[in-house]
Parts: sequence; structure tokens; C-alpha cells
Amino acid sequence: MLYRVIEASEVPALVSAFMEAYEVVAPVRKGKVYAFDVITSPDQIELNYDRTITSPKKYFLPPKETLMTFDSRENQVTDFTAEITPRVIFGAHACDINALNRLDVVFKDGRYPDPYYQARRAATLIVGISCMPTETCFCHLWSSDEARFGYDLFLQDIGGKYLVSISSVEAANILESACNPREATDEERVEFRHATRKRQAAFNPDIPKIQEVAMLMDAFHEDSFWDEFGSKCLSCTACSSVCPTCFCFDIRDTLEPDGKTGRRERVWDACTAPQFAEVAGGHNFRSDAATRVRHRMYHKLNGFLATHDRMLCVGCGRCVKACKANINPIEVLKFFERKGAADAQ
Amino acid sequence: MNTQSNAIQDRSDALRVVVVGLASCFGCQLQITNAEAHLMDVLGQIDLKYWQLASSDPMPESFDVAVIEGAVTTEESERTVLELRKKASVLIAIGACATTAGIPGMAAEDFIERPVSVYEDVPDACGEMISPRSVGSVVPVDFEVRCCPIDSYDFIDVLQRALYGSNKTISTATLCGSCKRNETGCFYQQGVMCLGLVTRAGCGARCVNLGRPCNGCAGLSPDANLPAAREACKTAGVAVERFDKALEMFNQTDPALRDA
Repeated sequence: MLYRVIEASEVPALVSAFMEAYEVVAPVRKGKVYAFDVITSPDQIELNYDRTITSPKKYFLPPKETLMTFDSRENQVTDFTAEITPRVIFGAHACDINALNRLDVVFKDGRYPDPYYQARRAATLIVGISCMPTETCFCHLWSSDEARFGYDLFLQDIGGKYLVSISSVEAANILESACNPREATDEERVEFRHATRKRQAAFNPDIPKIQEVAMLMDAFHEDSFWDEFGSKCLSCTACSSVCPTCFCFDIRDTLEPDGKTGRRERVWDACTAPQFAEVAGGHNFRSDAATRVRHRMYHKLNGFLATHDRMLCVGCGRCVKACKANINPIEVLKFFERKGAADAQ
Repeated sequence: MNTQSNAIQDRSDALRVVVVGLASCFGCQLQITNAEAHLMDVLGQIDLKYWQLASSDPMPESFDVAVIEGAVTTEESERTVLELRKKASVLIAIGACATTAGIPGMAAEDFIERPVSVYEDVPDACGEMISPRSVGSVVPVDFEVRCCPIDSYDFIDVLQRALYGSNKTISTATLCGSCKRNETGCFYQQGVMCLGLVTRAGCGARCVNLGRPCNGCAGLSPDANLPAAREACKTAGVAVERFDKALEMFNQTDPALRDA
């Protein structure tokens, strides 16, 4: 990996250089919140954002996308080409880059690669940015607080300057042309060390650090905790809508108003949606909210790990904010902490 | 009507459709006409037999699809609905009034005293009034188009579902997920009441997108979690009594609200 230093004042020039060849999306203010959106000027970027409501996932797996079109009169698939926009995601946090790496496991590198996802991923550059944890961040528990791969550039703030980790030629060329990247000095390497330590020390100490979470999930699978926990669910699907790693989708056909042609659409689904596990014949094998919530937590904190050697949760904390019923992985960790207490029942 | 050369519009067996309005503002029927650009395309797929809003031709004896707008508020309208159910193979309820009893349903509480408290002599034009109710509480309904008013394209989509079948799941998830997908902030974070917590999704959180809290016109989801929603209100500093009262606007006759 190649490392160079640029001044913070050079960032607008870097963004502008990307904008010449790509659509640039970045964290911007949206009312009282932040969201990733297309920018028209580097001034719109809020690099000090805490978190966006949803993650950059939407640029790879859109909430709704057309997979093909068809002619209902002929019962034939018609020619359809998904439009792929060459894009730069500027300012992704480490958790979101780690989330993309997990989506890659499913949609890019898996047994059945998804051509729509692959095409978007191939046409997208990722520029990461370092951050400081908020009170609901727990990325460090799943080692998602640092992005080891899955980006083109990663900007580590070292105080008025950025230590830039460079991992693609395409992005390196643009960095080279737009800025004056230089070798890091010894002092800057020390700054980097301080920045990392500062971040590590800033996580909310009230979030329990629990070891062997996946195994605990199995051990306490039948605990009454899950009924109590899941029965609070509002069945609103906010959790999976904001989750950077939720990838379940539904596929449905929509006719045009004239009934002659239609399109096959993929839409985000959610395992907390009441009909998620409803099958042909009408049987729903997770018909109550408690079993749906438990299932969700198991996929995040147990099942994916068993198959892919990493948690499907990256600890971004979005669901902690989004869920009005306070259902989130931190509460599961607190449950395990209670079970570990000396007087635990 | 079916003169164009394509398979669907050539259907000699185009389904015969009637559109009937009960107690309502007729706004949902107007929403059908508001799909102007596609109206001819839609009419081309059916054999429209009766629609008071468009023609004074009387209702035929037999038809296939009955579209009903409005709540059942009189003995006469109850008979109409029973009759429509008997004759139609497919019954579609459109709008909040037909699906939840909607605005007319607000009069359900203390119904007996209401007419005499408003009128000195209850006019004959009122008919034999009964406590307002949804179409679905009188007869089984095959398809619903929710909200006040309905969305024109939702109507077309549901009509096509009835005509051709569909592989789309009908979801009973509540609204908040839509706001997250739209990346709008949450009213509860500002301590403002919003009925999205328990209201069926499907509208795309249209009001929230326009800066207004959800007023629940799609009706309570059968999966609504009222106790958890009330807890969420308390956490956000919204009075539970206000929340419950606000829900009555579109859910007065919903047993879930009464029993809770």
C-alpha cells in the first residue's frame, strides 16, 4: 500500500478532479440530518458528518431497480440495459467500506455473482475518510473501525492534513493530477499513530465488550429475552432500511398502465417485515415479530459469521438511532453482559 | 371500446366493471380520472359498465368487478354492498372511507345520539342511518387501494392485479421504514407526533416527504404494535392520549384501537 500526505486545503481540488470524469456522491446536509447525495460543488460536502441516515449501499443495491422489461402481449423479455453511472463515493466511513466488502462477498465474489451489483461496483471509486465514534458507534467490536481494503483512497485526518492510503491506479492518477501528494514525514507518521489512539479511546464505554458473541447467540437461543425483546418491534423495517449490510430483496413485476408492457423490479425487502417469510400457500414460518427480530439478530451476529468468517453487523449504529423500539445489537450485548454477571439467572 | 390491435385490448372477454360511490367526498373517484394521461389505456383494458361520475346509464344486472368508494352508513348502502358482493366476482374497496370507514367512521362513537344532536328533525335524505363501517366489515373484499385520497397509479396497479393477477406481496409493514429509505428525518426526534409508527406503509411516506407528519390515512396495520408505539411516544415526549386520539380519525371503527 502506498501512503502520501496532502493538505486539507487540497481536498476541494481533489473533488473537482473527480467531478470531471465521474458523478460524485458525498455526505451532504439534508434538513437536520446527513445523507449521501450527488454534489455539484465541493462546497456541499460535509466531511465532518457523524452518520448518514442510509449508507452508500443504495448506489450498489438501489432501493428499487429494474432488472428487465417485458412485453405482456408476447410474453417475451424485451431488450433492457441497466444504466450504470461511473461514480465516486467521496467520504465513506470505515464501517461503510467494511459493509461494502460484506456485500461483495454476497453479490460479487459469491457462487452466483449479481451482474447489476458487479457492474456498479466496477464503475465506482470509493474515497474513505476517517472519523471519530459517536455514542452509538460500536464498529471497533467487529474490527470495522479500520478499512483494510475495498476502497481506492482513504483519507486519514492528521490535523489539517490527510494521510492518504492509495490502493488503485485510477484514483492515484487523479490524486497526482489534482494535488501535490508527498511522502509522509516522521512527525506525520506519529500524528497518524495519535489519531488512531484517539479514536480507539473515544468509543462509548457503556457499550459492553463481549467476547464470543456468535457462540453466545447459540447458547441463549431459547432464552425468554428474545420474546420480550422482539415483542417491542413496530414492524416498520427501519432497521434494515438503514442497515449498510442488509441485502435481502424482493422481486416483483409491475405492468405499465396500458397493460402491454411491464418491468421486473428488485426492491429492498426486510426480514422484520411481517410477510418476509410467507411462502406459497400462505404459511408464514416467522409470523410473529419476536421470531423475526431474533432471526434478524442471528443473521447479523451469528449466521453470516459461520459462513463468511465475519459479522454481518459493522457496528455503524444506524439502527440504534432508527429503531423507535430500541431494538439493536447493543441491547443484545447488554443482555449477554447481564448473563455474565455474578448473580445472573 | 376494444378496437386497438393488441392482445390485451383485443380481449373480447374484457371484464365488466362497475364503480360505485357510498358515503365519501368522491375524491377517490376523481383520483381515477386524475390518471388522465393513462385513462384511455386503462379503460381499454376493461368494459366499463357503470360509473355515476361519468354517465347516468343505470347499473347493469351482471358484471365482474365492483369498485367501491366510501363507507357504509345506511341500510340502503349496506344492501348495495351485499348486492355488489353477490354479483361481482371481484370486489375492490378504494380509499380510506371504504377500507377503514375513514372520515365517516369518526361518527361511529356515540352514533345513536349523533343525528338528533345535529338535526332537530333528521331529514329523510339521510336514509336509515346505521353506525358507519368499512366495506370490508360488511362483506369480504378482494383488493384494497388505501389512503385518503387514493393514488391514481395505485388504483391502476390494483385494478391490473384484479384483471391479470400479480406476484407482488401485499405488505403490512408500518411506515417508518419508508422514511428511512427516503432519508427524511424523523418527527419524533423533534418531539412531533406522527402516526407512521403504526400506519400501513405503501404510500411512500408522501406526507412526510412534503414536511408533514403521517395522519394515518392508510389505516392501522394489522401488525401495528400499539403498546410499543405508545412507549415510543413517551420517550419522545409526545402525550399518549394525543396519539390515541389522533388515530381515531381514520381508525375509529378498528377493533384493535377500541380494545387496546
